[in-house]
Amino acid sequence: MTLGATADRNDEILVARGVSKAFAGVHALENVDFGVRAGEVHALLGENGAGKSTLVKVIAGVLRPDSGAVFFRDEPFAPRDPDASSRAGVGVVFQELPLVPDLTVMENIFFNREPLTRLGTVSRRGLRVASEQLFDRLGLKGIRPDQLVRDLSVAARQFVAIAKVLADDPAIVVLDEATSALGPSEVSWLLERARQLADEGKGIVFISHRLAEVQEVSDRITVLRNGTSVGTWPLAETTSDGLVSAMLGRKLEQLYPPRKAEPGPTVSVSVRGLVSGSRLRGVDLDLHEGEILGICGLEGQGQLELFLALYGIARSHGTITVGGVVRHIHSPRDAIRAGIGLALVPEDRKNEGILPSLSVRENLSLPSLGRLDHFGLIRREAEQEFVSPVIRDLQIGRQDPEQVVGGLSGGNQQKVVVGKFLLTGAKVLLLYDLTRGVDVGTKAEIFRMIEELAADGYSFLFYSSDLAELVNVPHRVAVMFDGRVVRQFAKGEGTQEELVAAMVGGTDSASGAASAGGTRPLVSEVDVEVAP
Amino acid sequence: MSALRATVIRNRPVLFAYVLLIVLGAVGEIVASGFLRINHVDELIISGAFIALVGVGQTFVILTGGVDLSIPWVLNSSAVLLTLWSHGSSGRMAWLTPILLLGGAAVGAVNGIGVAYLRIPPIIMTLGMSTIVEGGLLLYTNGGSGSNAPNAAVYLATHRWGPFPVIASVWIGVLVVATVVLSATPFGRRLYATGQNSRVATFAGVRVTTVRVAVYIVSGVAASLAGIVLAGYVGSSYLGMGDPYLFASVAAVAIGGASILGGSGNFVGTTAGALSLAVLAGLLPILGLQPAALQIVYGCVILGAVTLSSAKVGARRRAE
Repeated sequence: MTLGATADRNDEILVARGVSKAFAGVHALENVDFGVRAGEVHALLGENGAGKSTLVKVIAGVLRPDSGAVFFRDEPFAPRDPDASSRAGVGVVFQELPLVPDLTVMENIFFNREPLTRLGTVSRRGLRVASEQLFDRLGLKGIRPDQLVRDLSVAARQFVAIAKVLADDPAIVVLDEATSALGPSEVSWLLERARQLADEGKGIVFISHRLAEVQEVSDRITVLRNGTSVGTWPLAETTSDGLVSAMLGRKLEQLYPPRKAEPGPTVSVSVRGLVSGSRLRGVDLDLHEGEILGICGLEGQGQLELFLALYGIARSHGTITVGGVVRHIHSPRDAIRAGIGLALVPEDRKNEGILPSLSVRENLSLPSLGRLDHFGLIRREAEQEFVSPVIRDLQIGRQDPEQVVGGLSGGNQQKVVVGKFLLTGAKVLLLYDLTRGVDVGTKAEIFRMIEELAADGYSFLFYSSDLAELVNVPHRVAVMFDGRVVRQFAKGEGTQEELVAAMVGGTDSASGAASAGGTRPLVSEVDVEVAP
Repeated sequence: MSALRATVIRNRPVLFAYVLLIVLGAVGEIVASGFLRINHVDELIISGAFIALVGVGQTFVILTGGVDLSIPWVLNSSAVLLTLWSHGSSGRMAWLTPILLLGGAAVGAVNGIGVAYLRIPPIIMTLGMSTIVEGGLLLYTNGGSGSNAPNAAVYLATHRWGPFPVIASVWIGVLVVATVVLSATPFGRRLYATGQNSRVATFAGVRVTTVRVAVYIVSGVAASLAGIVLAGYVGSSYLGMGDPYLFASVAAVAIGGASILGGSGNFVGTTAGALSLAVLAGLLPILGLQPAALQIVYGCVILGAVTLSSAKVGARRRAE
């Protein structure tokens, strides 16, 4: 424990003291001290692999520490499992949401705690009433207790998981990366709830990659790096730069690289009247050579469908012109032939661009195997020669083509995803939330790669669930609402506030501000049909 | 160097299968001296060859994350129809063979279409097909079976060139072709990609449905070929002769180090698996165990392999 925390230790209700945990000889946590007071939001910051999740798992009883101990209200705390932990007053909302998709929302929330009728069967009425009370208390609208979890969006599931933990009325609530699946307005809802819970006297542990969120909501911040605690500070004593260097152990040169080049006048992709399913309702877009075009919007406004339609995964109507030629794209193969590549990180963050147990070489050549076909065989030397320029130019890992991709860092894995499409000859790359759940250092690496490729004439469609990235990375931003592009901001034109205003449906900043200022039920607006 | 090391690391389970084979052979020789004399080894190779022939198809299918349960009745149909239609004539066998292989391919194609396009779970699809083929065969033959197997089939299955069984050359041929296809062709690469993660493969432009249909066709043809050779080995055909090969094929793939859930493994491993099963079958009577004990072994091997594969997948998920 560092700085002023020592004097106040007594009012910390949950304390981890000298916790160490090693996996196969590698220290995931080394002698970590961490404490949470009642009534505070205490943020846990750190890069991927810094030990945040390991610490959470030790607290919740998923992992036993090798040494050190956890104390809850001055008693040793060693719950058998997360359920026991939650009943004892320490509720953890895990990154992987432990919900049963085929049960209803209320059944999930009161799983194993179901109110019973006199006959000993589950009381559905009791479930419904208890859920509704809980939702009211949380100000959670738009989710019905009897909906199947399967039918909910990832954001709504996240809210259900939080409600489930709060149903036990815990003294401590741990939110492990709870915002990573959420869009901007959902994030602010969650931050408000976290604040409210702290004001009610609960201790909140808030884990996030996003510095801005942490600074908005926390009272104190603890930074972990390589399994050790760098320090704990009250928010007021920290600066963004200081926190980032504490996380990285060095100064981050620049998260967003300097602009290398401006887009050319040539249109590389032109989209007219693109319609797909009920979510994409007529999109017009022009993407120029060397341009990074940001796509932003609340969850479910058609961004994902736009990317899937352009890549031939979702069925679509409309005109797609690539390099001046009208293309009919009905499958990923068609898209690849048209010179389009897709890197998609879906909401559940499972990487859909790599085969982790195969080598860098095999991953990179997969979409281009047809070209390496030499009388039915792949010649190893020819393949190595084929992939080596990309490994060199993008500086993938140790630059060893035989390295297994699963062993690479997150940033290098993303380079492999992008790199394999450079090899197909794609000049247009669709990047869907490539930086979701990625730490700051890796983000900087990815942005640098995008900037350099754009300067070389590659065009990007860039979607991110992080608004700050959309303001800083693209040349231009197109805002989607209700399946259409409602507004475009040229470079340097949009502030975060203006983007948000456009995202909630305002076509100009004035009406946008009006609807953003209103208090429409957030979840229903995003997840269910838009309520007027 | 690095490439070689990577290959060794990736094929560790395959190496383990060969270690197991050597251990089993050594145990046999210790328990019953003469177990490894050339004549007996030939017998073991011949009985292993049938498992290997059905195993090649099962390997391809399992690599994509599927399983083919229609093997025994495709094999059985092929054997029965060969003896029934050829009347023991090798001349007729010459034109019957391609027809029977084509029949196997057709059953495989239906399996593949069901799995790939109609998205029927492989276990259900191939079990259904197996039952349909079985019923069709029973209806057609009225429960009877044909006459003797043609001499050519007998020659293929039982003859030896000196100490070298003819069927071993078929096996080696299949081994070479399967290994080249799996390791050095675009199709092989796409097959592994499909088995590891079909979504990633689709996103990379792989026609996953085509790959799936192709592997079931390979399995149908292989099972049909195994039926022809097995008829030669037995000298005739009977209903139910394919039954032992259902679990033997899966067990051979599993012992051979393939992930039973798809994505990793190869036919070099399955070859060791087939030989190990043949050696084991030879060991049991020496140890005073009933042949039925072999079925217990099959069951344990398959369940063990599935447990191991799921544990590995689970560990990978947790590590992420």
